[in-house]
Amino acid sequence: MLKKRIIPVILLRDGKIVQSRRFSRYNILGNPTPAVERISNWMSDELIYIDITDPEDDFAEAADLEVLVQKVAEKCSVPLTFGGGIRDLRSARELLRLGADKITLNTAAFDNPQLIREIATEFGSQCVVVSIDAKPTENGQYEVFKGGHAHTGVSPVEHARAVEKLGAGEILINSIQRDGTGSGFDIDLINRVVNAVSVPVIALGGAGKWEDFAAVLSETDACAVAAANIFQHSENSVHECRKYLFEKEYPVRRHQALSNDNHIL
Amino acid sequence: MIKKPNIHYCKRCLYPAVSVNLSFNREGVCSACLLQEEMNSLTPAFWEQREAKWKELVTQAKATSESNYDCVVPVSGGKDSYFQVDKAIEYGLKPLLVTYHGNNYLPEGQRNLDRMRSKFGADHIVMGPSIEVLKKLNESCFRLMGDMNWHCHAGIKIFPMQVAVRFKIPLVLWGEITWSVAGMFDMNDYVQYNKRTVYEHDLRGYTIKDIVEKTPGVNEKDLAWLRMPSDHEFADSKTIGLYVGNFFDWNPNKHTEEMIEKYDFELSEQPFERTYRRMSNLDDMHENGIHDYMKFIKFGYGRATDHSSKDVRSGYFDREKALEMVEKYDHVKPRKDLNRWLEYVGMSEEEFDHIADTFRSPKVWWIKDNQWHKQTPRGDVKSYGQVNLSESETEIYFKE
Repeated sequence: MLKKRIIPVILLRDGKIVQSRRFSRYNILGNPTPAVERISNWMSDELIYIDITDPEDDFAEAADLEVLVQKVAEKCSVPLTFGGGIRDLRSARELLRLGADKITLNTAAFDNPQLIREIATEFGSQCVVVSIDAKPTENGQYEVFKGGHAHTGVSPVEHARAVEKLGAGEILINSIQRDGTGSGFDIDLINRVVNAVSVPVIALGGAGKWEDFAAVLSETDACAVAAANIFQHSENSVHECRKYLFEKEYPVRRHQALSNDNHIL
Repeated sequence: MIKKPNIHYCKRCLYPAVSVNLSFNREGVCSACLLQEEMNSLTPAFWEQREAKWKELVTQAKATSESNYDCVVPVSGGKDSYFQVDKAIEYGLKPLLVTYHGNNYLPEGQRNLDRMRSKFGADHIVMGPSIEVLKKLNESCFRLMGDMNWHCHAGIKIFPMQVAVRFKIPLVLWGEITWSVAGMFDMNDYVQYNKRTVYEHDLRGYTIKDIVEKTPGVNEKDLAWLRMPSDHEFADSKTIGLYVGNFFDWNPNKHTEEMIEKYDFELSEQPFERTYRRMSNLDDMHENGIHDYMKFIKFGYGRATDHSSKDVRSGYFDREKALEMVEKYDHVKPRKDLNRWLEYVGMSEEEFDHIADTFRSPKVWWIKDNQWHKQTPRGDVKSYGQVNLSESETEIYFKE
């Protein structure tokens, strides 16, 4: 059986790592790079960086992803996905050249959907991840919010199918309502998207304990479970998560011995 | 084009936007105040749940401990140390007290520290690095990062972990969630001790290797007390670091009163030069002195801002009273404290002033008539002494 992936997500806002809470409140954690080596040493399957700097905030300054990707790639031995504010083929090309393995698109999937096709054509579908931020509606459905904030009137199922058709190789589905709450993943939302497409789906949003990762693996066919905040709260976090899942016989790669390095980081 | 600094201060407390990891909401209220607001709204039922969670963790630690001790409590001998040990004992844990001794204790602080062994009937390990090495670290870290007390922050955060790992002690009980000062973590994060945060915030991103490289006459063996246990050692000893502040309401003024009454905790006899509080930082005279003066030099605010902002948040002060305290203390060059330090490391005041000025943030300070200027929390502008830099060193600053 194909192994399921465990993926830490690092959210950047105004050049700093943040914790996000329901897409509306943020705790600043620090600089973007010190976390990398630790996360890489803990046997993460991949690492996703997303810049969520508010484009409407005049005082905010988004990180220079091209500078960052080089710094991160130098210290990181796992596949790297970069996203946030990518609007054209030129910037995607540049990030891939500098060390990113995949590009994740969100706003562009609405504003310039052909970009998905362009990147997929030039670099292959495996290279394009479309991230989808969704929230439940009053009538028991879900709606996608562009860039996490703008109404689209589109359901995640419709949107996922559309971007798959354009060449998206993976879908990253995130729950706005569960984001940063630690109250568990939105299993219903994940299932809807997984059942709608044939490309791999990465589940994100709501992880509060290792059991929540297990719930995704046992109750959905998502190919990967991702989380941001929880991996910043304890030592050897990704390792502990993997160990928990492996020992419960979930199909994840076996955890390996931890580093013996006595120098900090 | 260098812009004239424009500091945004919190509308509720007196924290400036330059404070580390601080963010503001649309109404101009800082993340530290918002977190405090959230904490204040917590009900007794909430704290009962927290206590239950605490009991669960404590019970588990006692059941799994292969050591003679159930927990390490890192203690400086301050009010928070007393509170932490008091909590450990109240819930039936056998603590091992561990101190990093940076050789800067005030007499009252040293007496408070020594008293813990008898008052709590607990064993106590004190790690005091060689004075020679400490003097060298004081000087090199001041030159390197404008922080002579780097060794203290590093030592207190690392040495207790070494002890816990060596004796396979399952718990290390830290105090306040210090990283929540600016609202980095929420209560529900149950944040634990982690190397990334220690490296980035307590060690300021410097490793032992960096320090050895920049400190003539000090080698890696001299800094063995700073060697961080490896990931493997942590996993092997099953040691985790918890914050007592995550489980019990953290009210420093109240704690102090309790610790005085229960354990004869002593306050500072002399007032400090840079803050009105007499209960904090007795373990390190420079922490309220030149170390803190350097914070003012760098970022334009000091411990009087920290203390009075906390006191505003907990309802102990109003903002006007806090402004008075800041105006009285924040800019003060601590004479007595500075003289001790200059003699300790053998540096002239002229050299000190020059090195200090190289750390001024151009986001805070500008130069007019060869004087440093900055905005005050009241919104006006004041000058704060002469510029001690060469012409070329002033290029990064706005000039009026």
